[in-house]
This record gives sequence, structure tokens and C-alpha cells, in this order.
Amino acid sequence: MSIHLLHRHVLEDHISGFETDPNPNHLSVIRRPVIFSVLARAGHEAEVAEALWNAEDVAPRLCGPYEWLAVSRTVGAETVEAMLSEIANASVIDQSDGRVLMEISGPGVRKILAGCVAVDLHPEVFEEGRSATMLCCHAAANIARTGKDTFEIIVPRSLAGSVFEALMEMGREHALTRGFAD
Amino acid sequence: MASLITCPHCGTRPKEEFSIRGAAAPKRPSPTAKDEAWHRYVYVRDNPKGRYEEYWHHEAGCRRFLVVERDNLTHEVFGVTDAAEFKRGGAAE
Repeated sequence: MSIHLLHRHVLEDHISGFETDPNPNHLSVIRRPVIFSVLARAGHEAEVAEALWNAEDVAPRLCGPYEWLAVSRTVGAETVEAMLSEIANASVIDQSDGRVLMEISGPGVRKILAGCVAVDLHPEVFEEGRSATMLCCHAAANIARTGKDTFEIIVPRSLAGSVFEALMEMGREHALTRGFAD
Repeated sequence: MASLITCPHCGTRPKEEFSIRGAAAPKRPSPTAKDEAWHRYVYVRDNPKGRYEEYWHHEAGCRRFLVVERDNLTHEVFGVTDAAEFKRGGAAE
């Protein structure tokens, strides 16, 4: 099987050595996420957003007034592409290889992220399901709250190494562990 | 320097997320305008003290161009609008 050589993850070199059991605070790097960029034509933002929020198996992430990311960890890229290309007045492009998806969770997650992000992530302000693009460890990252103490971070592939190292550094005092997840 | 900018799309964000792209008040001359007009537009700029309209690009957020009206003396921010709306408002005048 040569598939592992073809799909070598960018953070493979950063996550080396033996794998430990995950601590309560854990950063998991999703091995093969499906990430699509969706842009709406001017004047059609509301209908594209509605279609995107109603789409199955896809989690929408807000980037800007005309722009979203569609993330899926369950279905393949072809399925997502077929589904998204049916949305009228939207342009869709596969970004799966250009972005890295990480999930950080645990009781200390907000303290860890406070060292990385200059945006208020209090659950009353940044509630569950909310997402936004913001500066995270000097890189423009899309951060979404997927649970009470769970956040998903999407960063450009070329910056993933430095963001990952910075996140691990911020998590050291909270015993943050890391590992790949499918 | 105004350190917190309330982006109309993203909410209150630190200034590190933006890059400043110059004054918003000068009107861009037409492509066929004389060289003098273009020279004035590109190189001869006022450096006012006080209230000031400026293009800010929200690079690390929504990636929209915004027009920030601020006081460059007191660091007070009076208003932030999307540059597209600013242009539309200007055209209506």
C-alpha cells in the first residue's frame, strides 16, 4: 500500500515519537478532512448561506460576508462536491489539501486559546456553532466552537507547523497532548 | 494607534488583524486623466491632524476592505463601514 506515502500529513514531522494516552486537554489533528471553500455571488449571500446551513454531513464555517468553509469529517470529497455544486449562485472549490484541521478540547481549552487568540471566546459571546476567522498564533485561522469545551481550528497548510508548535507551547502548563485522529 | 476596531462583519478585533491602506478621501482619477492628476493622486497626499478616513484591510478576518473614520490624535474611532458601502454612499451624493 503506497497510500500513506501519497497522503503524508504536513504535521507528521511535528508529531513524532511514541503516542501517549490523551490527557483531558487534547489536540487532535484530523488526518483527512474535507474542506471546501464556498463563495456567493453578490446579492445571493442569504440564500447560499441558508442552503449551506441546511446541507447534510457538512459543517459550515463563517469566513466573511460572502465566504464560507464547508467542513466534513464523515463523507468524501466527491460527495461533498456533488452536494455543494447544486447550490445556486455559489462557487465551490476543494481546499482539503490546502488547509489543516485541528480539534482542541478539554477543560483548560479557553485558557490555552487565550494565549493564541485576541478574541473573546466566552460561551455567551462565542456560542456553540459559532465560527469566525481570526488571528491565531500570528496566522489567519478559522476557529469554530463545536462543543462546550471543544474548538476546531482550520489553518493554511503552510502555517500549520508553526501554529501547531505554538498551540503545544501554550498547552504545556495544561498538559496538552497531541495525536492524529481520523 | 486605535487598538480595537469593530469590524461590521466580525465584531471587535485587535488592530494586528488589519493592514492600513491609506487615506480613503482622495478620489481616484479616471484612467484617461492627465499625468498631473495621477501624480497628485498617487504622491501628493495631505497629512491631516485629527479626524481622518482611512482604508483598512481586514487581512486576518473577513478579508474585506473597510473604511475606518478615526482621530489620529486622540486614537478615537468614530465609525467603521465596509468599503463597498462607503463607495455606494459616496456615489449617491
